[in-house]
Amino acid sequence: MFATLITILFLVIAHPVHAADAPDLEDQTRAIASELRCVVCQNLSVADSPSDTAKEMRAIVREQVAAGKSPQEIKDYFVSKYGEWVLLAPTTKGFSLLAWVVPFVVLIAGLALGLIFLRGWTKRKKPDDTKMVDAALLARVRKEAAAAEDLSLDLEDSSERATLLQERARFYADLKELDFDYQAGKLSEADYSALRSEIETKAATVLEQLDRIAKSVPHKKPAEKPPAQPQPQTTGDKARPRVRGWQLAVGGAFLLVFGVTVGVLLTTSLRSRDAGQGSITGDFLTGTDAPGGRGNEVASVLQEGKAAFSKQDWQKAIESFKKVLAMDPNQPEAHAYMGAILLQAGHADGALMAFDKALSLNPNFPMALWGKGMALYQGKKDFAGARQAFEKLLQMLPPGQDRAEVEKIVAEIPQSGQKPKQVAEATPAPTPANAADQISGKITIDPKLKDKVDGQAVLFIIARSSGAGGAPTAVKKIDGPVFPLAYSIGSENSMMQGVPLSGKLNIIVRLDKDGNPMTHQSGDMTGDYKKNPVAVGAHNVDIVIDQLAQ
Amino acid sequence: MAWRRLIITLAIIAPVLWLFAFGFQRDSHYIKSPLLAKQASPFTVTLFDGRKVTLNDFRGKAVFLNFWSSWCPPCREEARDLETAWQRVKDKNMVFLGVALQDTDKDSRAFLQEFGITYPNGKDESGKISVDYGTWGIPESFFIDPQGRITYKHVGGIRAAMVTAKLEEASRGIVSAAEGQGDYQSIR
Repeated sequence: MFATLITILFLVIAHPVHAADAPDLEDQTRAIASELRCVVCQNLSVADSPSDTAKEMRAIVREQVAAGKSPQEIKDYFVSKYGEWVLLAPTTKGFSLLAWVVPFVVLIAGLALGLIFLRGWTKRKKPDDTKMVDAALLARVRKEAAAAEDLSLDLEDSSERATLLQERARFYADLKELDFDYQAGKLSEADYSALRSEIETKAATVLEQLDRIAKSVPHKKPAEKPPAQPQPQTTGDKARPRVRGWQLAVGGAFLLVFGVTVGVLLTTSLRSRDAGQGSITGDFLTGTDAPGGRGNEVASVLQEGKAAFSKQDWQKAIESFKKVLAMDPNQPEAHAYMGAILLQAGHADGALMAFDKALSLNPNFPMALWGKGMALYQGKKDFAGARQAFEKLLQMLPPGQDRAEVEKIVAEIPQSGQKPKQVAEATPAPTPANAADQISGKITIDPKLKDKVDGQAVLFIIARSSGAGGAPTAVKKIDGPVFPLAYSIGSENSMMQGVPLSGKLNIIVRLDKDGNPMTHQSGDMTGDYKKNPVAVGAHNVDIVIDQLAQ
Repeated sequence: MAWRRLIITLAIIAPVLWLFAFGFQRDSHYIKSPLLAKQASPFTVTLFDGRKVTLNDFRGKAVFLNFWSSWCPPCREEARDLETAWQRVKDKNMVFLGVALQDTDKDSRAFLQEFGITYPNGKDESGKISVDYGTWGIPESFFIDPQGRITYKHVGGIRAAMVTAKLEEASRGIVSAAEGQGDYQSIR
């Protein structure tokens, strides 16, 4: 009985406690998560973001709440990992205090400025409105208005005097019309008086201004046109017509600088969209191809490269693909073709790097998969890797000759542990080094640069046809070089497989920090043979590495 | 009067221009890490071969910790370089540890096989390790000195030469003044 009572009590008391606990944990988690910024979203809180990272962050918040940590402790944990950036509301300390203060300062400054301007305007208007017009002038207005006929005025004349004369004529016409309306009974006595007084005052002001102009140019005949002024209706501020010109110039210059600055900043700050993101508009700023834009240029140079590649004109092909990559470093086809050329030349490492780059941009690019497979199979003897690349390629290839070819190669790849029989056949035999087609010498480092040599840098010995510039004729790569270094470069290093070196060549060397001959960076060192060009077969072609890229 | 007006106009527009310049030059995704020179958070990770390792196991060695994912192009781009760097330093007092995040087991294993990665790699199942290291863009690499202090952080792809150079620095306890940056991809 007692046990039953305990059970009932437990169900009645304990159950609601648990039921209340769960939502409380969720509420607390949500409250804290809503104050944290999702690190992979644009201005979304961790509570609101559907991203995986936000889910993980929410789980951590929940875990810490359940462990009894206070909201401040939990927020401090995230701040210690991501900085104060992770807080949606900045703290009221240090630099972040500015985020709280600045809006209010700007608001108050704006209001103060508004008030100042408003006061300025009302001050300027007041004297006009309450202006006491000279009685004599008013009498003159009445007299002239009564006597005024249809004044023929030069409407083309835009001088200040002519404009004032036109205004005077208009006011006189208005007064006549007002009289007519009043006599016709269209206006009450009070309205008539108020309107008449207003127009007479305005006309008197115009007369006053006309008199002032007449006095300021006494030597000129009244009929003579005063010099053109850019602001005919200005009454009070005499300085304004003189400064307006340069004010406009300064304003114009400022707008120009503003436009140029925004333009330059826009082009430098926007970056290309990632592959696959697509674009609604598409232009050079978003890195997508607009019709007739840079994309067409890339396509045409790429086409040239492909044509040169199919004709086995490697030099021209390399130049074209390099040009494409200079315009668009994320062009997978150009990377893949560069890889194919390097593979042809027997540079498996460089080829693999190029194919991997192409695949990082387009993981299903058949040519890059094919090239990667061949580089791993023939160059690196990595049969498992090669098989994987070919198998991925087979998943995409429809039945046909290409597929049959790949299947044949996959069948030839030895299983792990098997001897690579076919590989020996498939790999072209390297051209035996022949002293007659070699250029040899010694490479040393300038003592001034000795301290700056990167221990991990890779040495490239590059031979280029004399006067041809552009792509190299032969390249030799040496990992972990130790100086002074005796070297030789020959036909086995030719970029065009099977084509022996001949004629005169310029020999240069490059100590490349990142080991990637396609990139140039600060810290790379170079040197060239001082008596370039040299004939193939030359010895003692000694080179000092004496230039440091900044 | 005119000068005053000009000064007021410039005083209003110059800060706006500065704000524009600041906004345009800033990578809105970039989060500067507060972890440089701080003690690295301890963690335990289960490797793909089933072993469990903790960061404390590596105390006394310079550690290269790399967060990656198989779906991230810059991770693919750097993978071969990381293995090259590992081959260069594996006989020294240095350790490499890769941590896959937001990835499936199958894809991670395929990635490791594809690039012939031989250094230990595990998976951050809950995402806790990556949050502990404040990751937001991958690949992200941390260099930890033998005393367990973070000496350098690199967001985005990194080259072999940089990895070995920064590991050398880490082994000597040299803390870099700033973090490095390469091509990166936001995590999901």
